[in-house]
Parts: sequence; C-alpha cells; structure tokens
Amino acid sequence: MEQHHDDEFRVNTPDFARLNEKLDRRRFLTKTTLGLGALAAGTLFGGQRLFGGAAAKAPDELNEDTQEAILRALPHFAPRAKRVVYMFMSGGPSQFETFDYKPKLANMFGQQLPDSVRKGQRLTGMSANQSSLPIAPSVYNFSQYGKSNTWVSELLPHTAKVVDELCIIKSLYTEQINHDPAITFFQTGNQLPGRPSIGSWVSYGLGSDNENLPTFISMISKNGNGQPLYSRLWGSGFLPTRHEGVQFRSGKDPVLFLNNPEGYDGADRQEMLTYLKQLNELQQSGFGDPEIENRMAQYEMAYRMQTSVPEVMSVAGEPDEVFDLYGPDSRDPGTYAANCLLARKLLEKDVKFVQLYHQGWDQHGGLPGGIKNQCKNVDQATAALVTDLKRTGLLEDTLVIWGGEFGRTVYSQGKLTKDNYGRDHHPRCFTMWMAGAGVKAGISYGETDDFSYNITKNPVHVHDFQATLLHLLGIDHERLTFKSQGRRFRLTDVQGKVVHDLLS
Amino acid sequence: MILLTITTFFGRMHPLVVHLPIGFLVLAALLDWASYWPNYKNVQAAVPLALLAGAISAVVACVLGWLLSTTGDYAPILLDKHKYSGIALAGVALVLYALTTPAFVRYVALPRKVFSVAFVVVLGLMSYVGHQGGSLTHGSDYLSLATLTKTERPKPTRIEQAFIFEDIVQPLLEKRCVQCHRAGKLKGNLRLETHGDLLEGGKHGPVVVAGNLTKSELYRRITLDPAHKEFMPTDGKTPLTKTEITLIKWWIEKAAAAGTIKLTEVKGYQNVQPIVASVLGFAGPTGGIVAEEGNRSRPVNPDIPPSGDTAQITVVRREGFVVRIMNYQPLMLDVTLPPKAGKSGVNLSVLKPLARHIIWLNLSDLNLTDGQLSIVATFSNLEKLRVEKNPISNEALKSISGLTHLHALNIYRTKITPTGLETLKHMKQLENLYVWQTGITASDVKKVFGDSTSIRVAY
Repeated sequence: MEQHHDDEFRVNTPDFARLNEKLDRRRFLTKTTLGLGALAAGTLFGGQRLFGGAAAKAPDELNEDTQEAILRALPHFAPRAKRVVYMFMSGGPSQFETFDYKPKLANMFGQQLPDSVRKGQRLTGMSANQSSLPIAPSVYNFSQYGKSNTWVSELLPHTAKVVDELCIIKSLYTEQINHDPAITFFQTGNQLPGRPSIGSWVSYGLGSDNENLPTFISMISKNGNGQPLYSRLWGSGFLPTRHEGVQFRSGKDPVLFLNNPEGYDGADRQEMLTYLKQLNELQQSGFGDPEIENRMAQYEMAYRMQTSVPEVMSVAGEPDEVFDLYGPDSRDPGTYAANCLLARKLLEKDVKFVQLYHQGWDQHGGLPGGIKNQCKNVDQATAALVTDLKRTGLLEDTLVIWGGEFGRTVYSQGKLTKDNYGRDHHPRCFTMWMAGAGVKAGISYGETDDFSYNITKNPVHVHDFQATLLHLLGIDHERLTFKSQGRRFRLTDVQGKVVHDLLS
Repeated sequence: MILLTITTFFGRMHPLVVHLPIGFLVLAALLDWASYWPNYKNVQAAVPLALLAGAISAVVACVLGWLLSTTGDYAPILLDKHKYSGIALAGVALVLYALTTPAFVRYVALPRKVFSVAFVVVLGLMSYVGHQGGSLTHGSDYLSLATLTKTERPKPTRIEQAFIFEDIVQPLLEKRCVQCHRAGKLKGNLRLETHGDLLEGGKHGPVVVAGNLTKSELYRRITLDPAHKEFMPTDGKTPLTKTEITLIKWWIEKAAAAGTIKLTEVKGYQNVQPIVASVLGFAGPTGGIVAEEGNRSRPVNPDIPPSGDTAQITVVRREGFVVRIMNYQPLMLDVTLPPKAGKSGVNLSVLKPLARHIIWLNLSDLNLTDGQLSIVATFSNLEKLRVEKNPISNEALKSISGLTHLHALNIYRTKITPTGLETLKHMKQLENLYVWQTGITASDVKKVFGDSTSIRVAY
C-alpha cells in the first residue's frame, strides 16, 4: 500500500466540507481583503472596537495565560521525591490491629466507652442504635521491632522487618465517616466527586519523565470484595483528561489490545495515526476544543505503549529470588503482590505516580478473622516493595505511602466476644505510613489517647498529608491551582499545612 | 482567526511604512521652499505629486498603526496622542494636496507664501507624531531631556555612605516593579521611579505611608498570598524575596519611608545592617545572607550558579537525555539517560555546559566504562548519583571522590569491591550508599568510614 493519505482532504461530508471551506484560498483572500477595507474605514470613523477580540483579550485567553504562568513556575522549589507509589487500603484498616498499640485496653474488655472520650460524636447509622458500646481490645499481640523500637502487630511480620524505613503517622484524621466520600476526600481533596485525583494534579503540574508510559497509573488487586472503587478516584476532574490515571487491569493482560489483531501486521499503523492526527488537527482548528488535543495525545501514548508496556509489564526476566521476596502470590497476575512487583518495575521506568488499591478492609463484624486475611494478603508484598526499592536505590527519590481512608472504632460493632468483634468507621484518628524520599525514617509521629479515639498530639489532617506529599515533589500546594467554572481550585482546597516535622 | 493573524502581520509593517510619509512630506516641503530660488523654480510643479504620495502613505501608515495598536500593550495616553496626531497629520497633508488641485485653486486661491508656511506646520506636527511613536516603542525616557541630564548614582562602598532609599529601596523597586510602573507604561496609573512617585501614588493614592505598614499599599500588595489577584508583582513575575520585603518593611516602619537620609541616621540600623551589607555586596561570600525560609529543609548549595544556559538543555534533550528542571533559581537539574536512548553509544560530553547545574544524575544500566565516567568529576554540585548496573570497577570511584556535595551514591550491581571504598574515605558528607550485589556490606563501610559513621548502607 502506498501512502495514499498524503493527498489533501477532500471529504464529502457536510462537516468536513465546511471545515475545508474555512481554509480555501478564495475564502482567505475574501476575508482578509474585506477585513482590511473595514479596518481602514474603522480607523477613519473612529470605530475602535471593530474587532474587539484583538484589542482586549478574551477572558478564556487570560485564563490560559495564568494557567501557563502557574505551570512555568513549577516546581516551586527543589523536590525531594521524584516518584510516588501510594498503596491505598480501601475500606479503612483498623489501627488497633496494625500499628496503634493500646495496651491499657486489655483490662477494659467489654466496658462501656466513656462519654468523656466520645464527647457526643455522631456515629454512623450502623452502630448509632446499639444499646452499648463495649470496648474491644485487639486480640492480636504487639511487639517492638527495629532500632526504632516501634510497636507493630503480629499480623504484619514482614512490615515489622522494614519498620526502620517507615515514618508512621498515628494521628491522621478526616472529615468523612463513610467510604465513598472519605476515599474521594483522600484522593481528590473534596468529598464530592469531580475534582482531580492527587496523581492527576502531579501529572498536570510536573509532567512526565518517561514519554513512553503514562505519568499516572493505577492498579487494583483482583478479586476485590467489599466497598467498590470508581474510576473517578484516579480521574482528572476538570484538568485536561490526558492527566487521568491510566488503569492497568489486574490480570495477565494489564493493557488490552496491545497486540495487533489477527491478519493485520501493523505496518501502516503509524500512517493511520498520522492521518488521524491530521483529521483531528483540522477539527481542532475549526472548533478549538482542547479535548481534541488530549485525544490526540492519548492516541500517541497508546501507540508508544504498544512497545513500552509489554517490556515493562513482563516479569519473565525476574529471578526467583524476587518472587520469593514478594511472596508466592506475586506469580499470580492481578494479586496485590504481583501489582507491587509491577509497581517497582514502573517506578524503575520513572513513572511518576503509581497508585495501588486493595479492597476489603471494612470489618464491621468478624474483624479478627477478616483483618488477619487482609494483612496476610498485603504484608509481605508491601514490605518487599520497600526492601526492593531500597536495595535498588529507588527509595532515595521515591515516596512510598500506605494507608486507608479512615480508622475504626475502639468499641465493638455488634456482639463482642473474647475472640470475635467488629469495628465501625472512625474518622477522628487513624494510622498510615510513608517511607522513602524526604521523609524521616524510623519514626512514629502523632499520638492518640488510650482509646485511639481522639488525637492528643500532632494531628495531621488529610489536607496536611496532601500538602506534604506535594511539598516533597517540589510543589507549593497553595500555588498549584486550576481555574474551573470561575474559581481557582487546588488539591488542598483552602486548607492544608506542610507537616515539616515529617521531613528529613 | 485568519483575520487576526493577518492584522498582526500588517500591523507590524507600521514602523516600516511610517517612513514613507516622512520622506514624501519632507520632500514636498523642500521642493516647495527650493522653488523660491530661480535655479529651482520649475520644481514647484512636483510639489502636489509629492504631497499626494505623502498623504496617501500617511493614511496607509495610520491604518497599519491602528492594527498594531490593537495587538500590543501600549500606554493608552501616549498611544492616543500618537494616534490622533498621526491622523491629523494625514488629514493636513490631504487638505494641503486638495488645495493644489485645479478644482480648488479655482475657488480658493491660497497665496503661495501661506502655502509654504503651512509646510512648517506639517513638519512640526510630523516631528511630534514621530517622537510620540518613538516613545511608544522605546519608552518615553528613550529620547528626553531628563535622560540627557541624568547622572548615575555612584554605588556606596561603605555602609556609612548608603542612603536608605536611594541605595537600597530604589534599586529593589527598579528591579522588581519599575518594568511596569514607569512613565509610558503606568500600570495602575502608578510610577515607582523616584521617591516622589511613591508618595504621589497611583489610582488608589499614595503607596507608602510613613511608619504605617497597614496603610502602605505597596507593602500590602507584595506580602499578599501570591495566588491573590492583587498580589504584586503580578502575572507570575518573580516575587520579592524575604530579604527584600524585610528591607522595605524596615524602611517604611523605622525609617518613616523617607528619602535622602543615610542608613546610619536611622535608629536601630544595626538590625538590618547584615542584610544591607549583603544586598550592597559588602559581605563575604556567605556572611549576612538571609536564607529563604520555609521551602527547603536543607540549605541550598551556594556553589550552584543561579542561572544557566537553558538552550543547552534542549541540546542535551535532543541527545536522548531526560532533563528535569528541579529548581529555577539556582538552576538545578535532574538528568537521566534512559537505557538504549543514545543512538550511537553514550556521549556524556554533551552535558559539559550544564556541568555545575546537574544535581541528580542517573546513568544506570548503560554499559558504561570507567573511562566514560570520568566526566562525572566535573559535575561538582552533584548530590545524588546513580551508576548502578554498569560494568565499572574501583577505578571509577576516583572520578566520584572529588564530589564534595554528593550524599547519595548508587553502585549496585557494579564491579566495585570493598577495597574500592577506600577512595571515598574522605567523603564525610555521604548519607546513603546503595551497594547491593557488589559484595560490599555494612561492616565494610564501617571499616573504611569508622564505626561511628552515619552512612546508611543498603544491600
């Protein structure tokens, strides 16, 4: 097949006919000569605003200028981190059975939660009608690990081994008590859908370090149960859609249709895309819709991903020792462990923001059994990722984050027995951890009361966490803004303070 | 859209075309005046033609000038003066021409001398238009008596000589504000060129009030949240630094925003003396510099040159390097050469022009040799270096051992051995060492750097 697409467009649909007309020579001359005559007349008769668009900038244009100025100033200061991997534990992992050790509770088994602690807090509909709120101590034991002597639950033996790398924050709090608003709040800075995800902000602000792969990639562990996840959690909101997180599927084929279909050798794919680009550019010049540009960028990205993705997503070349490190699950594509391994490979290629999701942390009942299983699924691979990043040196400039959307209550939801209980949602305090670039290693930050109900020292709001994350990437969270529908938005809305105590 | 582009295009021809009416009208005047001499008597016949050419080209110049005015950001008052006097000139030229046509001569026979005097008016008007036009493009101080008589202030050499406004505050305003707030540009109807300008103020009144920070609009604007729409300098121009703001604050509060007083005449001047000294360049290389707080938990390495040749970044990128700008001032770069990116082998010498700006460098997995790595020794401000997965040996560490700012070194899966570490022995600033798959262990590191070393070893 010769390059028969080199000819100029002569398409006979009304739409394209109109577009073609816009560009033909006669129209050009007619328009410009008429224009000049009119301009001359305009000058003579003092018609100053004959072409108002030229004299005063249209509001849209002004907006674009500001937007560009904001981007030109980035990064605002020298960054400490270059990439982020964020392991989101969806459902709200209990702090009691993981990191927030509360030994005094052991002697309070079954006692009522004192009103002086709860202070009349409104509970969810799931436990508000309970006649009693009996205190449920963790059935799992804690020990101290590492040089930092950090208390870690027996459910996380592998994490315990890397605890000297972690910066554990025990005093996070959020404003949302239900899953979807709480996750949306964590991921986008607002409880209502429609704002860009953290990764999208980062992609928009800092751009790509590897043009062959998306800047922001999300992966969900397969066979997830419990609270659902929505693609808007890694969506770009009002930012240009090319900054949306690209979801890699959990399975053997992380990206579908990378291979050419049967009977097609792909030889003229480049030509087809070039032609498509020409068509799109024509549309773009006619309608000026920025989403056309985004679509073009995405087509090109998809083309480059045909070669880059199979290479980076193949674990065939990894030695057995790596699979041993990440655990047996890592050989089963789509599991959390396999995703962790892929995450390391993506980070190695300088993908800027990798977000993993693992569902099923919502133990309203049967918590001891449920959380044991959850921890088993994530513990080894999470620790392995930290270890792997450390030994390959990527931890030097990669920020690792682990945590859920809120914590869980000290009292049992439903019946409390010696070896079984449930816990309801608790937004007032919970634990997560960061590790790697720019954060202090081997520290615990913030304290909660004996019931892990209220924060007693160094509270960290979700917006503070987001501000700190952006800070590590060289972004002043107050200056990365985007104007949409007449208002400038930022990830941290009107709040958020960088937690300097966490920074190394 | 097409119309817009073409207007800009033609508009930009205005400075070219304006010279036609100038030439023609001067010629017309010369011909007219010369014809009083008997020798040149017959040139008078050419005057109407020269006038006509002048008038037509003036009209064209007017049209093009109007096009230009719609695209640029010109001072409105000056622009109006130029515009209307330009149109007037075209009009006068047309009228003069009309007076020479037979149709008019029949009704209004203008005495010849009156006609010749009219040319004086034309030339005068033309000079005026021309000057306004020149001021528009070059700034009103480009050709003015004030510029001719202005003298430069000698820079003070000792702190006792420094005037608080003239030597300290004014140069700051000059650097940050005057670009927009000057005669001819007058943003917000405000000039900030002299002390008087500040007191006179702009459309909201005076911008500084002696001793009163809250009433001093200038101070309020420069200390607003940069995202605020009233923040100055606006449009993403470089904001004032903390040091500069401190000085302006001190001047308004303690020095009563006064002009022509010496720094040392103000009580408590010792408080700002170190900052002033560094601003005026009396202090040593580090003495007196007030660090920018808040943004960095580590101090910025003062050896990094503030700005670099950014065109070189494009050159380096073309060679397959990924160059990430980490910071603009000083210019700090994170450079990565992805494996297989170089078309014909790895050519690191292209990094040379940016050597002192490279802060992070990733040269992993490139099949580099010890010799190829020797260029790294010139990257004197390197903080993080990745040379892992290369067949380099202990020899390569010699190129690294002189890097005084290096704090993270990744040499995993290289041929470097424990004995090689001796080369790095003096590098007390090292914090992180990645030595997996080299056979080096933490105890080897301790052997070289001492038991009390704080280097974190990953293996």
